[in-house]
Formats: sequence, C-alpha cells, structure tokens
Amino acid sequence: MMHSQIPKSDEYQTRRRWLTGAVGTVAALGAAPLVGAAPVQPRKQLLLLFLSGGASQFETWDPKPGAKTGGPFRAIPTSIPGERIGELLPHTAKALHRLTVVRSVVSNIADHFQGHYALQSGRIAPGYPVLGSAVAKLLERPDDVLPGYVSIRRNGPKAYTDVGDAGFLGAKYDGVKVYDNLPPQNLVRPAGITTPLAESVERLRRAADARFRQRHDGRPIESYEATYQQAAALMKHREIFDLAGESSAMHDRYGRHEFGQHCLQARRLLEAGVTCVKVTHFDWDAHQDNFYWHQVRCAEFDRTFVTLLDDLEQRGLLEHTLVVVTGEMGRTPQINNLGGRDHWGRAWSMAMAGAGVKPGVIHGATNDLGTEVTEDPVTHGDLFHTYLRALGIDSRMDYTIGDQTNPVADPAAKPIEALLA
Amino acid sequence: MNGILPTHLPRRWRNCDKIVCLVALALALAQPAQGQGSAESRPLHERIDALVSRPLESRKLIPAKLSSDAEFVRRVYLDLSGVIPTAQEARTFLDDPSPDKRARLIDTLLAAPGYALQMARVFDVMLLERRVPAGGTAVDVPLPAWRAYLCEAFAENRPWDVMTRELLGGDGSDTARGAAVRFYLTRDVNAHQLTRDVGRLFLGIDLQCAQCHDDPRFKDYRQADYYGLYAFLERSKLFPVKPKGALLGELAVGTTKFTSVFTAKSGETHPRLPGGAMLTDPALEKDREYRVKPGPNQRGIPVYSRRMALSEQLPRGETPGFTRNLANRLWALMLGRGIIQPLDLSHAGNPPSHPELLAELEAWLVARHHDIRGLLREIALSRTYQRSSELPDGSPPPSDAFAVAPLRGLSAEQFRWSLLQATGRIEAHLAKLEAQPKKAPAPEAPAWKQLADRLEPLERPSAALLTAFAGLPGQPEEGFQPTVDQALHLLNSEKLLPLLKADPGTLLHRLSSMEQPEPLVGELYLSVLSRRPDAEELSEAGQQIAAAGSPEGRNVVVKSLMWGLLLSAEFRLNH
Repeated sequence: MMHSQIPKSDEYQTRRRWLTGAVGTVAALGAAPLVGAAPVQPRKQLLLLFLSGGASQFETWDPKPGAKTGGPFRAIPTSIPGERIGELLPHTAKALHRLTVVRSVVSNIADHFQGHYALQSGRIAPGYPVLGSAVAKLLERPDDVLPGYVSIRRNGPKAYTDVGDAGFLGAKYDGVKVYDNLPPQNLVRPAGITTPLAESVERLRRAADARFRQRHDGRPIESYEATYQQAAALMKHREIFDLAGESSAMHDRYGRHEFGQHCLQARRLLEAGVTCVKVTHFDWDAHQDNFYWHQVRCAEFDRTFVTLLDDLEQRGLLEHTLVVVTGEMGRTPQINNLGGRDHWGRAWSMAMAGAGVKPGVIHGATNDLGTEVTEDPVTHGDLFHTYLRALGIDSRMDYTIGDQTNPVADPAAKPIEALLA
Repeated sequence: MNGILPTHLPRRWRNCDKIVCLVALALALAQPAQGQGSAESRPLHERIDALVSRPLESRKLIPAKLSSDAEFVRRVYLDLSGVIPTAQEARTFLDDPSPDKRARLIDTLLAAPGYALQMARVFDVMLLERRVPAGGTAVDVPLPAWRAYLCEAFAENRPWDVMTRELLGGDGSDTARGAAVRFYLTRDVNAHQLTRDVGRLFLGIDLQCAQCHDDPRFKDYRQADYYGLYAFLERSKLFPVKPKGALLGELAVGTTKFTSVFTAKSGETHPRLPGGAMLTDPALEKDREYRVKPGPNQRGIPVYSRRMALSEQLPRGETPGFTRNLANRLWALMLGRGIIQPLDLSHAGNPPSHPELLAELEAWLVARHHDIRGLLREIALSRTYQRSSELPDGSPPPSDAFAVAPLRGLSAEQFRWSLLQATGRIEAHLAKLEAQPKKAPAPEAPAWKQLADRLEPLERPSAALLTAFAGLPGQPEEGFQPTVDQALHLLNSEKLLPLLKADPGTLLHRLSSMEQPEPLVGELYLSVLSRRPDAEELSEAGQQIAAAGSPEGRNVVVKSLMWGLLLSAEFRLNH
C-alpha cells in the first residue's frame, strides 16, 4: 500500500471544518457529511482528466518495446508484479496497483470533434449530455447551491476541445467554465454598486416574488429563485476559485505549470462539493515529433496525476470520487515520416481510479504490434456505462426531462462488470 | 397488437391509423351536437375553445378566469412583437373602455413591423438553434442577409410551404432568397445532422436513435426512415467561395447503405420520406448526369438533384407531419407547450393531448395555404390563449390541459428587448433619432427594415445580455431554464450597468422629475411590469421613497425599485 507524502495541514483542517458545517454552510453547499451528525452518505464525485488531442497508448499504458511500432522508449516495471507501462510515467508506475487500466478501447473514431463528443457522452448521435453534465444531473440534490459541473481549461483555441455540453439537459447543467484558473465572470459586485443598494434590490426582488407566487404556479418561480441563491453562494465562496489559499508547498507538489495548477483548482472544487470537475490537458496531438512531445506531456501529467491521487486520498475524497483519464482517441501504431503518430481509434487505452472501480486491474489486451485488440474489446459506450455504475448510478435508467424520456447511456452498450468494485 | 389492421402497411402507419380513426370518429360524434354545418362556419378560435374546454369537464379541471387586461397586454405584445409594451402603450390599452379592444390590438400588432422582427427572431432560433458552422462565419450567410430573408418572409406572410421549399431547396445562388441556404451552412452541410433536423423541425419527428438502429423506444422510428431522409441529403456538399461565403454543390451519384448496431442487419435505400414511397433517380446516360461536373474548383450541379426533390416532396399538406408540425409549433409558441410535446417527438406512443384540435388546426392551415399570421391571429383570439395565469384553486393543473395560462420564460431576445423597453432605452433612442435633422427620404424601404435599422444601434450595448440568456447551440429552447450565469449577469455585470443609467429620456430620468410618490410608482410599474401597482405595492414603495430624504437618496431608492422589479420572476416570465 502506497502512502501519501502529503501531511494534513492546519489549513486543510480549517477548510474542512468550514465545509463540514462548523460555520453552518454545509446544508447550503450540500457537500460533505456533517462530522458527528447522523451519517449521511457522501455524494459520489467525478474528476475527468481529458488528454486532448489523443495520447499515445504506446508511450503510456500499453508499451510495445522492441516492436517496429513501439518507438524508442522502454517499458518499466510497476507496482503490479509482471505488468509494465511506458518509462515516461515513472510515478504512475509506482501507483499502478491503485489504478484500473483498460488496454482495449475500440472507439473507431479518428476525428477530434467526434472523439471529444463520443468519449464524453458515450455516443455518436448528437444532442446528449457529456459525462460531467450527465453526472451533475443524475447526482443532483434538491438543496444544492454550488454548480454541479465545472470545466477547467486553457483559454486557448476552443475548436474541437469545446465539443460537448449539457445537450438536452439544458443550460443549467452546462457547467461553469473556468478559463486559465480565473473565476467565473461577475462574481464580484461592481465598484459603483454599494452594499445598501444591492441589499435593497435583493429585498425588493424577494418581496415581488413572494407576492407573485401567491397566485401562480410556484415551480418556475422557485427555479428562478434558486439561480439567485446559487449566485449568492458563488459570490460568497468565490475563494474556492482562488488558489492563493493554497500553500506554496502545495503549488510545488502539483507543479507550477498549467496542468498542475488546473488540477490543484480541481481538487479545491471537489473538496468544496462540486460534483463533477473536468480538467483538459492539451497538446497531445503529436503528428510530428511524437516522442519529444510525449516526453514533455507525460512529465507534466505523471507527477501531477499521482500527487492528485495522493491528495484526494489524504483528504478522504478518493473513496467517493471516480477519477477518469482518457482522451478522444489513441495514436497510430505507424510512425509517420515526421516522427509523429496520427489519429487512431481502433485499439487504445485509458485509466480510472477511485470510487467504484477495482484497483490493480488491467483489462483487455492488444496484439504484439498494438494494431488490434485481442482481448475484451470495450467501446466508448461501454466506458460511459461503467463510469455511471462506478458512481452508483443505474446506467439503464432514463432521464425524464419534461415529457421526454431518454436513456442515460446508449442501450446498445453495457457496463464492464469486471472493472466494477 | 395490430392484428386487426392491414398487415401490408408499414408498422408506423398501422399505428397512426388508429389515431386517424379516433380523430375521424370523434369528429363524427362531435358534429350533431353543434348543429348541421355550424362547425365549419364558426371561426376557428371558437372551435379551439370548444375542443379545449370539453376535456376539462371530463377531467374535472377548473379553467382559469379570463386574463386581466394587464396580463393580456403584456402577453400579446411579447408573443406578437417580442417585447413588452411601453408604459404609454400599456396605459392606452388599459384605459380603453371599448369591448373589442383585445381583437383590435391583436390585429394592430400582427400588422405592425414588429411582428416580422419578432417572428424572424423566433424562427432564426428555431431553425438554426444558435449554431455556428465549424468553419466559422466565413462560410456562412452573413447575418443581416439571413435576417432580411426571414423578416421579408414574415412581413409578407409567406406561406410556410413556400418558405420550406426555399430553405430546403436553395443552393445559395439565388440573389433574392439565397440566404435561406443558411439552414444547411450552419450545419456544415453534414448529412446526418441535417437528416435529424429536417425530421425534427419540418416533420416533428426525431429520428436520432434510428441513425444507428431501429429506435427501441418508438416502433414508428425505423432505421430505414432515417436513411430514406438521409438519402435526399447525403449528396449535397459544402462549396466555400472566395473571399467569403459558401454555396451548395451536389453529386449525381452515391447510394445509401446502413447497418444496425444491434442486429447487424443492413439495408440500402433511395430517397424516401418517412412513411412515404421510395423515389428512384431518373436513369441518365453516363456522363450526362451533370449540368456542371464537380471538380477541384467547380461546384457540382447535377441534372437531377435529390435535394431539390426533397424540397418539392416534403412541403405539402399531404406529407404526413408537415402541416401538423407547423400547427403544433405555432400552438406551442403561443401556449407554451405543443399539443404534441416534445415538439419533435410525434409518434404513436406519444399521442397529441388534443387530437381533434390538432386535426382542426392542420385542416385549417391546409385550407388556407399555410397561413402563419392567420393561425396566430385565431389562437390569440381564443379564450384558451386569453386565460389568466393565476391558478383557480391554488394548485397547477396538468400543463397539457391548457386550463391555465402557463408561466413561460422570456427568450433571450424577448428579455433583451423588454429590458431595453422597461428601462426606457428604446424610447429614448428613438426620440433621439427623431430629433436629429432628417436625412433625405430613403428610397422606399419596407417598414420592417426601417424599424430594424432604427433599433440596430441598441444591439451592441445589449449584446452581453443576449449572450448570457441565450440557450445552448444545437438545442431546442423549450421550457424555462434559468442559470446562475444569468443571475450573476443581472446582479454584477459591468455591461448591464450602462443600461440602467438615468440618461435623458429613460425611465429613471423620467421618474426623477416626478414629485409625488403615487404617480411615480404607477409609472414605474407600468413601465417594467405593464400593470398598475396594487395598494400594498403602492404604499410600500411610496414609504421607501418618502423615507429617502435627499434627492440623491431618493434616486438610489427609485433605482433599487426598478432594478428589483427587473430581477423579479414576474418580469422574467411571460405570464
């Protein structure tokens, strides 16, 4: 059993107390159980680390050293006897017994747009919610105040990386976007608006609504009211978007680069009780100089990822948080004449950890060249079912939105029972 | 379960036959009660009310009373002009004692240029669903051209079948109505996306699941239906032109094959409308298939265009679903939900709440050449539309009974223009234009164009507001879905503050010169909520104003009163 190097700091204890109701906010935040109160099941949470562009399975989870498709890197031993992964992930290798790795993803999608959508929604047909939106909806509680889904990313070119949203679940579940770790817009009252004015406006709004709802259907009035409560909660707790509250040592551990800082932000949000957080890690689309790029990308990913797992575990979050690591596709076995690998959906890998999945399992296999899946093929639809099940959601249920019912996961796919804890 | 029905019919039609039979039977039964021939001679709005009221009795539901004049005036302005009335317009209507004032207002609004602008906004959102093409606006029809196309069509009340023919048949090369090709371009001419959306938006059926397999939920939606529609569209291709814009090209060849992911059964199809007959391409000699052969810089124009065939086959009264979809969507526009709901899920397992009513509306539209303005007029005249949104007995009746006027969220467009109206910014802006020295009279621009041009300068300052309230790209905007971003925008956005300033001619400016609290509060309520305050509201607001002391303090109180009302559910909802 690996033990984390991260001590329980005082700062952490204080935050935790605040979040667990010592200051009376837990009911409003709906996050963690009250310490000492009647046991409430902590809500399951989701962290999606999306390797945008498509990481190479050869340089990560499914190395083929010595094969003509294998590239220059070695495979190294891991904490699971007999299993090896790419040498670019030395920290992850030591934590492999805590992970669930799938080496047999067959999505057959070699396009960024389609891949981003399909790997997040579990479908090809458009209009469905992505994982973060879906889980935010499915695990929603009536007294929730914080948004159910936050997506953290670089404010760079959006193009295909912004594919996918709440679909038919609607704007409420589209999630709050955090770009470059800046808090969402309009969290701070403008300088010209005095507190008495704002309070007076709020009082008048409430009085008007109380009057209006006396004789009207209360449901739309309440859902409108809820958005003001959410706004007030975000304004009040906007420090959950402020990394200045994290110690310098913590910044160092996560890494003072974009991905590290975004993962630190993600942990902060999970700890505050946001149900789903997605972090996008960019620049895996290595059509040229694949091996150089994977050295750079893997170095960032490897240490931050393990730090994140340790930190989540240390804070008691990992046991109810599912961590998913995937991209929209893998990369070709063929190495092109620019030293790159191209788009590939026929046989590639992803990984999971935390809530609901069996640790230390390597599922599926590819042939010696990595060109075909030879064992237990898994589709994006199967993965989607599996994520939901790991989070305690019956993946065969339907959404009922207004008068419309829709299956939460593609009925043509199924959960991977062998991976579920 | 369909054993007694003819088995040679496709299953979808066997199921639908049942509904058709029920409708026919119900209509036949309904006839004698109304006296011979009277049903036809009564205006449609009376028949609407009869058909909505009858099930209320059997369901033991009490309908709401007739709306107050204040409820009605706000609602009908929002629905037919897309914006709340000015205080003066509201006051004029409320104070008008004549018994036919509602009917007159409906006709006035339908004839006004604001109607064309409102319908253009509604159909822009309905048809394009706020999409942006993958290639960006460079490969799209410029927004002004698209808007002009829609405004012109609604200003002249172009029949829906004609519009549909333009939307589905054009390739963008027509100088007058080429902008209609935007329907294709915002979808990147992606045949799968188009198949789904042509089904949803023009026929009221969502064949999405049938792309990959027969839909396990609905027996009506077969994979073969999906690919029958797809076959009309798959040969059409995006053809970008320099320096900007795009046209449609089309191939003359290509067969449509499909395989079920469930059963691995495969099929091949020619173009076929769901439930209709299969079309075969005309036999053309080899090398005679093209008028213009496609090449690297050459837009392909086939002799026989499958897309053109779609534009001719689909927009007809006899195409199952075509007229019904229009009737259902116009009904939903006015009543907050369709007679079939969701609007794009018409199938045997999801029957209309009022089948006779839907059949009446459909027949009316067919007989009157798909007259959109005419149908909206009849709906607006109905008592059903004019019900109050106040609950008769405290609990909301089922929404599919149309017993109470629904609370509908304002669309992003309605909210933007209503906020500009409430704060007096539209009036202030128009007054400023009036005061400017007149330019030489413009060549006869249509009324909608003159109005659109005059309002245009107000768009940029309110663009952030529109963005905050707009729905997700590619999603139908149904139901009320307020978000936290919107609340934060209304509370804290620096971009909202300029709209709330007391500039000359605006509401706050007007109120600041009013001495007495009573008329001041009256003007405020008429401006923001299109009604007069009740005694309690008057006294509460009056007290706050009186307690303010200094003129500056008084201005702050008045501003908070206005802002509070703008944030209220009553303002946010069409009620």
